[in-house]
Parts: sequence; structure tokens; C-alpha cells
Amino acid sequence: MEDQISTLCSATYSWCQFCPAFALVVLAGLLLLADAFLPKLPKRSFALLGALGSLAAAVSMLSGDHPNTFGFLACISTALTLLLAFDYKKICCESIAGKDNEEGTGEFYALPLVACAGIICLTQARDLIMLFVSLEVITLTSYVLAGYFRRNRGSIEAGIKYLILGAMSTGLLVFGAAWYFGMTGSFALNSSVVLHALNGGEVGSAAIAAGFLMAVALLFAGAFFKIGAAPMHIWIPDVYQGAPTPTTTFLAVASKTAGFAVLVMLVMPFLPFMQPGVQIAQMLVITFSIVAAATLLIGNLGAICQSNAKRLLGYSSIGQAGFILVFFMNPNSALGFLVSQYLLAYTLATVAAFFAIALVRTQRGSEEISAFRGLGKSNPRLAFLITVCFASLAGVPLTFGFIAKMYTFIALVDAIPTWGHLSWLLPVMIVSAAAGFYYYFKVIRAMYWEQQQPGDKALCVPVCTAAVLTVSAIALIVLGTLPLVLAL
Amino acid sequence: MIQNLPWLFLLLPLLAAVIDWVVFRKCSKCAAALSILSVAATFALCVAYLCGLQTGTPGIYTWMPVAAAQLSLHMGLVLDPLAMRMMLVVTGIGLLVHIFSIGYMKGDPSNLSRYFAGLSIFMFSMTCIVLADNLAMTFIGWEMVGFSSYLLIGHWFDKASAADAAKKAFITNRVGDFGFLIGILLTLGVFGSLNFADMGAKAAGIAPAILTATVLFLFCGAVGKSAQFPLHVWLPDAMEGPTPVSALIHAATMVAAGVYMLVRLQVAMGEAAFTGTACNVIATVGAITAVLAALMAVQQDDIKRVLAYSTLSQLGYMVMAVGLLAGEAAMFHLYTHAWFKALLFLGAGAIIICCHHEQDIWKMGGLAKRMPLTVLCFLMGTCALIAVPGFSGFFSKEAILDAALEQNPVFFWVGAGVAALTTFYMARLCLVAFCGSARAHGAEHAKEACPTMLLPLLVLAVMAIISGYGFAADSLVPFEGFHAHGFALGLPFYAGMGALALGLLLAFALYGCGKRSKDPLSGNAVSDALRNRFYIDALYDKVIIGGLQEIVAHIIEFIDAAVIRGLLMQGSAWLTARIGLLLSYIQGGSLRAYAFVCGFGLLILIFLLAFNL
Repeated sequence: MEDQISTLCSATYSWCQFCPAFALVVLAGLLLLADAFLPKLPKRSFALLGALGSLAAAVSMLSGDHPNTFGFLACISTALTLLLAFDYKKICCESIAGKDNEEGTGEFYALPLVACAGIICLTQARDLIMLFVSLEVITLTSYVLAGYFRRNRGSIEAGIKYLILGAMSTGLLVFGAAWYFGMTGSFALNSSVVLHALNGGEVGSAAIAAGFLMAVALLFAGAFFKIGAAPMHIWIPDVYQGAPTPTTTFLAVASKTAGFAVLVMLVMPFLPFMQPGVQIAQMLVITFSIVAAATLLIGNLGAICQSNAKRLLGYSSIGQAGFILVFFMNPNSALGFLVSQYLLAYTLATVAAFFAIALVRTQRGSEEISAFRGLGKSNPRLAFLITVCFASLAGVPLTFGFIAKMYTFIALVDAIPTWGHLSWLLPVMIVSAAAGFYYYFKVIRAMYWEQQQPGDKALCVPVCTAAVLTVSAIALIVLGTLPLVLAL
Repeated sequence: MIQNLPWLFLLLPLLAAVIDWVVFRKCSKCAAALSILSVAATFALCVAYLCGLQTGTPGIYTWMPVAAAQLSLHMGLVLDPLAMRMMLVVTGIGLLVHIFSIGYMKGDPSNLSRYFAGLSIFMFSMTCIVLADNLAMTFIGWEMVGFSSYLLIGHWFDKASAADAAKKAFITNRVGDFGFLIGILLTLGVFGSLNFADMGAKAAGIAPAILTATVLFLFCGAVGKSAQFPLHVWLPDAMEGPTPVSALIHAATMVAAGVYMLVRLQVAMGEAAFTGTACNVIATVGAITAVLAALMAVQQDDIKRVLAYSTLSQLGYMVMAVGLLAGEAAMFHLYTHAWFKALLFLGAGAIIICCHHEQDIWKMGGLAKRMPLTVLCFLMGTCALIAVPGFSGFFSKEAILDAALEQNPVFFWVGAGVAALTTFYMARLCLVAFCGSARAHGAEHAKEACPTMLLPLLVLAVMAIISGYGFAADSLVPFEGFHAHGFALGLPFYAGMGALALGLLLAFALYGCGKRSKDPLSGNAVSDALRNRFYIDALYDKVIIGGLQEIVAHIIEFIDAAVIRGLLMQGSAWLTARIGLLLSYIQGGSLRAYAFVCGFGLLILIFLLAFNL
């Protein structure tokens, strides 16, 4: 039996490559036990322990011969999410068990660790079974986290919507995996399997190749759901707006990282075929260009008329995913690096933005953009840090966001000589980037140009928020001025 | 590791600026100490290099790697004598000005941390220009010095004139920089590289017309930064900034950057790349600037403005020398001028402070008795500027006159005439301000300057005397293989002496020993024209800002209203609103609709991938 499975997957795993994941699961288990049996312990401390644990995991991701950049990003995102949850305690208590009652909040701090373990396993996957199982670990945890604030209607609605649409996407993924297996006789993701299937398999029939491509389309659809690419972006605005802010953060950064890891994993086997004149390559590029253009336009134009900061960041996350998809126009061996570089820029800025939203929500009771009013006067340093983060999201030069965005443009320009008919994507990207300047600067405008209202007090910035915002802003500027730090 | 030591030239001032700005915001003493420390360290490093410290070629840092390699932005340093000796001038004068600033800014109510951060950021930017090994890096430094100059001119930004002057300097420079940018892009297109090291080999095969255009566009940058006619208008107004800033930025270093850049290009591209037309234009612009500025200086009453116009005029000399293909003479004059003009400005600063912020020379008088040491230093600088034999300025001016006589006698006579004017206006300044008796309260109570101000003056006075002689010049003038000009009797010498004598005679005849309390030349149309800078500024105000801009503004207003506001803004607003409506129609919150969109999208996806085979 064991032999059979290993031939089906034609991939072997060693136990030790999952050690960080196991460690995180054990930590999560311990925290859950402590939640049940040590009621005196402040639940909030779980978040700090979890953050430390995932930071340690992040360090372990970078050690070794093959640094696991996606795993690293996921661990960092999880740590930051937990730190955000730490500072978000007041709202957590209010929305779960009522005012200042910590009861029942423990799991909220422990579950992201499980999801993070899922992502680490996912990045190690080399076949569809491992990929599916670890993706489900992430998704199932996210369902719980999205609907966790049971006293908050928005959260419950977000939980339900995410559950149903997520289940649908899981269905697509499983269906795709089944077709994949049916057409190739294997779950393994590698070029020889792809080549075999494209040549019509054992029987040499064109139907096999077509069925195989349908399987790939279904698998892509599953990945698109995770990263929020059109047309699978549809859940994002509602869920991001409704879900608890730490969960939204997790979905926006960690879950998106997982999605891109899947997408890169699915595209990599096609790399040897990505040459001009090969039909499958043409079709992949056309598909990706259409999806990228739709994603860019929907994300960036949709964001223009938003007034809720979380919903704005939801659309922004769609738009940013659109930019990352441009890298898939010109897939090469550096794809993973380019995508994770963009994701790092996106993660640093987005997490910081969510910290700012959480801070404003906690102390001004609103998540509207207008709630940022007058911060330039009352908290000039905080306003400056937030400005740096939003400027980086928009892609202002000398921030990391600019470098990341510039590489998407370079990738497209490099792809045009090979694939010819991609020039039309350039104006789409320019319009999207310009729209980005408009809607990201709405927040900055609110901070500096809108008057404070009577009763507005200066915000008191908690330690974690201050630290994360400062570190992110510095990192964004340093990586924006010395871009090669990353490659060294 | 050791070969990357030169990067400290850039890093130290940058770090000092950042720390001053962020950490020492409130502690101006720490900020001053840190800035001085950083400039002293770079000065020491520079001296070490000139004394023969060898570290090998510094690493090149690819800032923005692009697949097409020639489009990548590189950061590299050149450490040839041209660059390193220029660094010595920049850091040496920088150090003295930093020290002088402590005395000058003592008791100033403005934020001194901001001031020293500005100075440090200037040192960083200037270093970036001097050590750049390619034009892109030069341009970055170019814009950064513009920015730091803006910050420092507008240091007392609550004074309207200072804020306006800062804006004027910045905007005028933008005009020149626009041409410079075009020139850089042309260079990239024509030479295929922005690296100075690559230019020489490729210059030969390029059509002269294209070369001329490239050089002239690059020259636009120098016209802005070195304040040449017709973009000279910002420099006199820049005197609104603190006087040490005027000494460092608007006399010794930044304004000379244009000349430095031109000489750097001349060396890199080869003199053949500077075609006849280009050279004539450059030399003519320099000569016009020299004459106009010297004339305007004759009727200025503000001590700093006299010096500012004199700087303009001397910069005109240097640019003229570049146009005459005498880069060696230009750099020689740049180097001596840097020392003595910094001396003159710092001396003026000391005088202004000691006269309780009085800048009008007609309200001074008799200062020679009250602050003899300062006045003596100032006189040393004056002697160097008016080219008294034996002082540094004499040698470098002779070098330029020699070159002019060799190339084109017209420029020689222009140079000699300007020399006479220079002598006249400097003698006027000295006679009025230092001789006779005090004409105002401030001058009566003037006392000798404090030691932190006096020390830099003394050092600079020594440099103003000795820097022209072979022993100092041969190893310090920023030019590869420089040899000090051998002194020879000849037409240039006689012309120079004649100009000197003529200027002194006229000044003594008109202003005597400073007994007059009013300028005998004033009160007529010519004097008014000179005082009002030949109405060039007014012309710009009326024609360009008032007239041309008005017309352009109407056109732009039309475009703005019809195209941008009407079509683009309202059109796109309408469009995006429609798209937003459509999106919100889809994004209505109905789960069934969402599932439908996903399913429909999936069908398209499958169609795209699987049904095209």
C-alpha cells in the first residue's frame, strides 16, 4: 500500500522538513490546553507566545541550503497577525464574551498557528495530495477565525460567506485533482507528467490533453480563489470588511502567500514548455493576461469609491494580486523570487495598514477612512509611519512598493518581445497604478487635510503597534532605497 | 572591505544628517558636534587619500538592475585627482564653514539641528556629484544639492523674503535641470552609456551636430547650477540664507559644480567632443555673465550682494575658460576662488554679526579700527580676488587670460575689462565699509569676532595667499597632472596690472578714504539700471511670469477645463462610477450571485485553457 502511494505521488518527503510545522502545531496544542486548564492565565499572552513561536519558525525557514521564502513570509505574517490580535484585545473581548471578559478568546490566538503550519507544509508539497491537505488545514482554520466574533453580525456574515464560497473552491480543487489523476495517473507536479499528458498519455489521444488542461484550469481556479484573482475575487470585499481585523490581516497576507505558493507550484511544471510557438505556452499566457487585467481593473477601480478602510484594503489586495499575476506573463526560474519580493513589500505595508486600522477602530470606534482625520496634527509620527506604508502600497519611488511594482513593469516589457500581443496590458497596469495613487492617498489626505473634530483626542499607540509600524516603515524605506539588499 | 572605504565619503554625512534630523532634533549642540565630526572625518580621509593611501578600486553597486544592462543604474566612485582634490576643497571649506557656523548661529532662535542636518545633507549631495562615476549619479547629487540649497536658503522660512528666495532658487534651477536631463538622455542615446569611463572611446564616431546638441543640453545644467546668464537671477537672492551657507554653497562649492561637471565631461569625452559651436556658446555665456555681474556689483550697497555678484562674475570667468578649452585654468580658478571667496563671505558674515545684523555698507564705516583682524583677513581675500600679484587669485586669473589670448583675443579683452570692474567694486566696498568713521549705531559698537569665527578666517586667509603657488597648487588643484602657471611678463600681465591700477585709481578718486556718506555715482539712470540688475528680474517678472505665463496659463486652463476636468476627470469619474456601480451591483452581498460569478468565471477559464487546443 505504502509503495503504491509513493509511486502515485512519485514524491517522497522526509520527516524533518516538516519539523517547524510540527513545532507550531504542538505549540498551538499546548496553548489550547492552557486555555482549557489554566483559566488564570491571561489569554492575551498566548498571542505573544504564538508570535514568538512563528518568528522562530520564520528564522528556521531561512536557514539551510534552500531558503523557503514563501514559508518565511507566511510565518512573518502569522507573527504580525498575532501581535495585532494582542493589541486588539479590547475589541476581541467585546465581540466574543462581552466587555473585558477574556473567556473564549484563547482559541483566537492559537488557531493562526495551525494555519501557519498548514502553509509551511504547503510550500513543501510536490504533489496534489499534500497540496490539498495542507491547503484545507489553512482554509478550515480560516473559516473559524473569520466568524469568530460571535457578537458581531459582520463577522458572522463574513464567516458564512467565506465558508460557502470557500467550500465551493475546495470542491473545484478536488475536482481538478481528480481530473488530473484521471488524465495522468499521477498526483505528482512535475514536467514529465505534464509532458506525458500533453502528448496524449498512454493512448496518445488529444482528448487526454484537453482533459488534462481542464484539470489545470480547475486547479488554477482553486488557487485564484485564495489569491483573490478575478473571477474568484468575489468573496474578498465582504469577508475582509466583516471578519475580525486580525483575521482579515491573516487572510490578506498569509493566506494570499499560500495562494501564490500554490500558483507558482502549479506553473513551475510548465516552465520547460514556456517558449514562443508552443501552443500551451500561448494559451497559458493569454489566460494569465486576461485574468491579470480583469483583476487589476476590478481591484483598483473598485477601490476608488470605497469609504471603509478595511473594504478599501480588500480591493487593494485584489489589485495588488493583479500586479503579481503580471509576473506569470514571463515565467522563468526567478518567478518564485520575484513573487515573494512583491509579497514581502505588500505584506509589510498591508500589515502596517491593518495595524493602523485596528488602532483607529479601537480608539475612535470606526473603520471608515474619515476616522483617520487629523492624525497628522494629533499624532504626527504615527501619521508619518502610516503615510510611508500607504505610499509604499501606492508605489511611490524610494519605497519598497515602488521597486516591487517596477519589477512587474519590467517583467511585462521583457515578456512583450516573446509573446508579442501583450502590449495592451501596459495601459491597464498604468491606469491601475494611477488609480492606486488616488485611493491610497485618500487615507493620507484624511490624516493631513481633514480637520479634527471636537472630541477627537490624540491616539495612544500601544507598544506592539508602534514597534510594527516603525519597523515596517523603516524596512520599506531601506529596501526601497537599497533594493539589492534582498538578493544578497 | 578596505577597497570600499571611499563609500564613507557618502555614508558619513548622510548618517549625520539622518541622526541630526531624527535623534538630535531637540539637542542642537549634539547635532552640531555630529555634523562637524562627520565632515572632519571625511576631510581626514580625503587628506589620507591625497597623501597616497591606496585602497584599490571601490566596488560598484548596481542600484537598479535592469535586464538591458546599459539601462541599469549603477553607483560607482571615481577617485582620480580631479575628484579627490575637489573633495579636499569641498570638505576643507566645509569643515571651516561648519566651525564658523557655531559662532555665527549662536543665539539664533531657529532650530539649529535642522540647520546642521541641512549642512550635512548638502555635504552628502555635493560628494555625490564630485565622486560620481556616471551622469545618472551626478544628476541625483545635482537634484539633492538643489534640495539642500532650498532648505538652507529658506532656513529662516518665517521671513517671507527667505522663503521666496528659496523657491526662486529651486525653480530657476529646475529650468536648467530640465535641459540637463535631456542632455543626459541624449548622452545615453548617443554614447550608449552614462559612465564617464566609457565616453572617450565612443566620442570619435558621432556626428558633430549631435555632439554639439548633447554638450549644449548638458551645459544647461551648468547654466542653472552655476548661475550663468540668463538663469543667474537666483544667486543674489539666495543671499537671504545664513552667511556661512552663502560661503559654502553659493560661493565655494555648489555653484562651482557646474564648472566641475563641464570639466569632468571635457576630460571624459575628450576635448574634440566640444565642437566649435558648443565652445563658442559656452564661452560667450560665461563672458556675458562675467560682464553683466561685474557691472551690477558696482552699484550694490548690501555687502553680501556685492560678493554674490562678484561670485557670478568669477563663475563667468570659469565657464568662459571651459569654453576656451582651458579646463585646467578653469579648475585652477575654481580652486583659488573657493578659498578666497569663502574667506570673503565668512569675513562678511563676521562683520554682519559684529555690526548687529547690518548688511548695508553705507551704514558701516571705520571698521578697520574696531575689528582689525577680521578686516585684515577680508583684505587678504580682496587682494586675491582683485588679482594683486603674489596672491592666489593673481595666478589663476593670469592662467585664464593667457588661455583667452591664445584662443580668442575678444574674450581676453572682456576678461581684462571685468578685472578692472572687479577691482573697482571691491575697492569701493573696502573703502566705504572699513575707512572713515562709523555711519550708524551698529558699526560704532562693533567688536572683534569671537574665536570660532576668527579661526576659520585665519586659515582661509593663509590659503588665499599661498594656494596659487606651485608648491600648493601642483598637488592640490583639481586637475590631472596640473602644473602651476609659470609667471611671465607679457600682455596678460600688463593688461592685468593696468586693470588693477585703473580700478584702484577710480575707486580712490570717487570714494576717497570713506569720508562720503552717499554714493557719488547714484541718482542717475545708469546707476538705477545697475542697481536694478538691468531690470532682468523685472523683465522675467513681467514677461515670463506676468505675460507669457498668463497666456500659457490661459491655454493650460482651457486644457484643464476641457480635456482634463471635462473629459478625463469627469469622464473617468463617470466611467469609474459606472464601473463601481456595476461592481457594486455584482458585489451586492448576495451569496447566490457570488457563486454564480465564480461558476461563470470558471467556465471562461476552462474555455480559455482547454477549448483552444
